[in-house]
Amino acid sequence: MELANTLRQDGESRGGVLAHLERLETQVSKSRKKLEEPQNAQALEARIHELKRLRDKLRAEVKQRQARVKASTANVEPDQTLEISEQEILERKQENMKAILQAYRFTGISGKLTSRGVCVCISTAFEGNLLDSYFVDLVMEKPLWIHHHSVPVFIPLEEISAKYLQTNTQHFLFVLCEYLNAYSGRKYQADRLQSDFAAFLVGPLQRNSLCNLLSFTYKVKLEGQSFPFCARLLYKDLTTTLPTDVTVTSQGTEALPRMWEEQRAAHENLFFTKPLHQVFTSFAKKGEKLNVSLVS
Amino acid sequence: MDETLAEFFRRTILKIPMTEMMTILKTWNFLSENQLQTVNFRQRKESIVQDLVLLLINIEYHATLRLNDAAHLDIIYTQFHRHQKIWDVFQMSKRPGDNIDLFDMEEFKSSFKKILQRALKNVTVSFRDAEENSVWIRIAWGTQYKKPNQYKPAYVVYYSQTPYAFTSSSQLKSNLPLLGQALTVASKHHQIVKMDLRSRYLDSLKAIVFKQYNQSFETHNSTTSLQERSFGLDINMDSRIIHENKVEKERVQRVTQEIFGDYPQPRLEFAQYKLETKFKSDLNRGILAEREEPLRCLVKFSSPHLLEALKSLAPAGIADAPLSPLLTCIPNKGRNYFKIRDK
Repeated sequence: MELANTLRQDGESRGGVLAHLERLETQVSKSRKKLEEPQNAQALEARIHELKRLRDKLRAEVKQRQARVKASTANVEPDQTLEISEQEILERKQENMKAILQAYRFTGISGKLTSRGVCVCISTAFEGNLLDSYFVDLVMEKPLWIHHHSVPVFIPLEEISAKYLQTNTQHFLFVLCEYLNAYSGRKYQADRLQSDFAAFLVGPLQRNSLCNLLSFTYKVKLEGQSFPFCARLLYKDLTTTLPTDVTVTSQGTEALPRMWEEQRAAHENLFFTKPLHQVFTSFAKKGEKLNVSLVS
Repeated sequence: MDETLAEFFRRTILKIPMTEMMTILKTWNFLSENQLQTVNFRQRKESIVQDLVLLLINIEYHATLRLNDAAHLDIIYTQFHRHQKIWDVFQMSKRPGDNIDLFDMEEFKSSFKKILQRALKNVTVSFRDAEENSVWIRIAWGTQYKKPNQYKPAYVVYYSQTPYAFTSSSQLKSNLPLLGQALTVASKHHQIVKMDLRSRYLDSLKAIVFKQYNQSFETHNSTTSLQERSFGLDINMDSRIIHENKVEKERVQRVTQEIFGDYPQPRLEFAQYKLETKFKSDLNRGILAEREEPLRCLVKFSSPHLLEALKSLAPAGIADAPLSPLLTCIPNKGRNYFKIRDK
C-alpha cells in the first residue's frame, strides 16, 4: 500500500490503476487460498479412500490364504500327521498322569516322593465335604523318622508314632488318618452349629481344641412355647465323630412337665445317633412344620 | 469406686498409645458407643484419660466387678503389646495311660482360680478367651497380709489340650511353684518343667514348641509345593563378572537351605551357652592349656532376629557351612539356653 501512496503523489490515475491492480491481486490470492483449503481436504479424503481400498484388498487376500492353508492341511500326507500326534499323545499322557496324581488326594491318603523319603498328605473329609489336609514328611532311614509335619499339636502324634511308625508304617498312617478325619468331622459339626444355627443357641458354644467336649444351651419351640435345654456332649473316643456321652438337662431344678421330659429324652437320643448339625436341621424343620400348621 | 481402683484404671488407660486407644477400648467392649461418644478424643491425652476415668466412676456397677473389668483392659493392652514382656515356656506331662483329655474351659478356669486363692488369700485372677481355644490368664500377686499388687501382674497363655504354657517372667519368682501347680492340676497334667526357651516373641515361641515353623511340603498340587530355589547368584548377573568360587557358593547355599529351609525363621533375640569344658588349644603351651579343671564361660549371641542372622552367616562368608549343630538345633530342640560339658 505504500507503493500506492507514493504513486498517488505522481498521478492519481496511475495510483488508481496500480492500487486497483493490487486490490485484484490480493483478491486473487485470497480466493486461491480458499480454493486450496477444500482441495487439501479433498486430497486427504481421496487418500483415505485409497488406503481403505488397499486395506480391504489386503484383508481379502489374507482370508483367501487362510482358506487355502486350511484346505491344504486337510490334504497333508499321512506320515507328517503321525509324527505330530505321537508327541501329542505323549504330552497328553503326561498331563493325564499329573492330573491323576493331583486327584489322588481325594482318596484321603496320597503322597509325593521327596529326595529323602516321602511326603504324605492326609486329606480329611466329612459327609462328602473335603476338609483340611495335613502333611507328614517322612525320612526313609533306619529308623524311620518324621522330618516335619502339619499335624496339630493336640493330636497325639508322638503316641501313635511310638506305637506304629517303626513296626507297621501302613497302620501308623491308617491310625493317624482315623484321628485326623474324626477331629475334622467333629470340628465341622461344631463350626456348622455356631454359624448356621446360632439362632437356636443361648450364649456361646463352649468347645476345646480337639472338639471333644461341647457344652451349650439351646432353645426349642413346641406348641408355641420355647424351652431352654443344656446339652453336654463328650467324645471319649477320638476316632469317632459321634459323642460317647450325652447329657441334656433343663435349667431349673423343678421336675419337667411330661411333654418337655419326653422332648429332653428324645433330644438326648438324637445327639447320640446323628451328627450335631443334622440334629439342629431337624429342629429347624420341625419348627417350620409347626409354623405351617399354625398358619393353615 | 475406691481411689486405688480409679488410679489403676487411670494408669492402665494412660499406658495405651493414642493411635490404639479406640481399637483397644472397642475390643474391651465395656463402654458402649454412646458412652465413648461423650468423651472428646481431640484433647490432650491426660485430659482424655481423666474424662474416661470420670465416666467409669459414674457408671453404677458392683465394686468387685470393676476390678475384673480393669484387669480385662490390662489383658487386652498386654495382648496388643506382648513384645514388651519376656516369655518363658513350661512343658507339662501326663502319666502314661492317663485318660483322654476332656478339657472343659470353665472347669479349668475355676480349678485354677481355686488353687491360687486357697494358697494365697490375696490374689486377683482374671481370664480372657483368645483364638484357637486358648486363654490368657492375668494374676496379680498378694500375700496373706498384703493386697494384690496390680502393677506387677504375671500372665499365662495356655492353649487347651496342649502340654505347653507360656508365662511372662514375673518379678515375684517365689510364686512360680504355686503357679506351676495350679496350671498342672487345672489342666489335668502330672508334672511341669521349665524349658530352656525364652523370648519376647510369644508367637515365635508358639511356632517353635508346636512345631509350626516349617509349613512347606512337597505335593503334586502346585499350591504348597516347595519354591524352586535359585542357587545362582542373582545379584551380579553382569556377564563380565566371573565368580571363581561359584561351585563353593552353590554348595553353601544348598547346605544352608537343607538346614534352615525355605520358611521364615521363628524370631528369637538370643542364644546362651554356658560352657564348662576343658580349654582346647592348638598350641601346646599356654597357661590355660595346662589346666585340668574345666573352663567356665558364658557365650551369648544376640540379634534382633537371631535365627535369620545365623542363616545368613555362611552365605555371607563369615562362617563355614554347615554351621555347628549347637547353633542350628535351636528351633528343633526348642531351646536357646545350653549347658555344655565335656563328655
